Amino acid sequence: MFTLEIIFNILAGLAFFIYWVIAFVILYHLSRFGIGVQPKKFAATFLFGSVVLSAAVIILFTRTDISAFLSL
Amino acid sequence: MPSSRYKDMIKKLLSIFHDSPNSFEGQKHGEEVLMLLRHHPFTIIIKVAFFVLIGLVPIVLWIIFSALLEEHGWLNAFLFVSSIWYLVLWLGIFHSLTIYTLNAVLITDRRIIDNDLHGLFNREVSELHNNRIQDVSVHTNGLLETFLKFGDVTVQTAASEKQFIFHQVPKPEKVKDVIMQITASRHTGVKTVVQ
Repeated sequence: MFTLEIIFNILAGLAFFIYWVIAFVILYHLSRFGIGVQPKKFAATFLFGSVVLSAAVIILFTRTDISAFLSL
Repeated sequence: MPSSRYKDMIKKLLSIFHDSPNSFEGQKHGEEVLMLLRHHPFTIIIKVAFFVLIGLVPIVLWIIFSALLEEHGWLNAFLFVSSIWYLVLWLGIFHSLTIYTLNAVLITDRRIIDNDLHGLFNREVSELHNNRIQDVSVHTNGLLETFLKFGDVTVQTAASEKQFIFHQVPKPEKVKDVIMQITASRHTGVKTVVQ
């Protein structure tokens, strides 16, 4: 059970890391290749939303009891 | 005064959100951007609406299975999975918006630059100088394009058989007029003004 929990934590961390890599690529494209005001606004909105949603995911992740799933 | 310096710094930083010029990489000295074209907003609204619909899935599941989730103590797990769902949707929405925003056509007083972003790592940039423009045509197809005033603009080049097609751009007639004006200005020397 303990090993499975570790695997679950590593997978969650990996998914989170992949999310931020893709987010970085999107932010890079919007700020590097974007012409005019619109891409900057999109980049700022995206960054703000990503930070808020990531915080929500982390808080809910710490509250989740994985053993409830594993006992199914 | 340090506080007024900080205020100025913040003001300067925020100014990119309202008066960022349409400058671009490779812009020549004195080159003026006449038009910046993107696909009609309708094309992206459809995609975003689809994501919003998918976003309703956890809410619907919550309404149906809330009692069951609380009974088995799966509430936190459900909220965690839902938050991941929304995080992925957020990424999907902005991936679409990035593709939409960066697929742009720039019409300057010297040339036309067509940026095609097929994917985040698949980018194509084509350039057409105004002395190679031979013919411009507009194609509006269907009810939506007619009522929402968007369509395809095709620019025929002089030297090769290559065509530049700008898909689903708003006000295609105006775009055609501007392109014809910059082509004519090559002969007349009259500067093109976009109203």
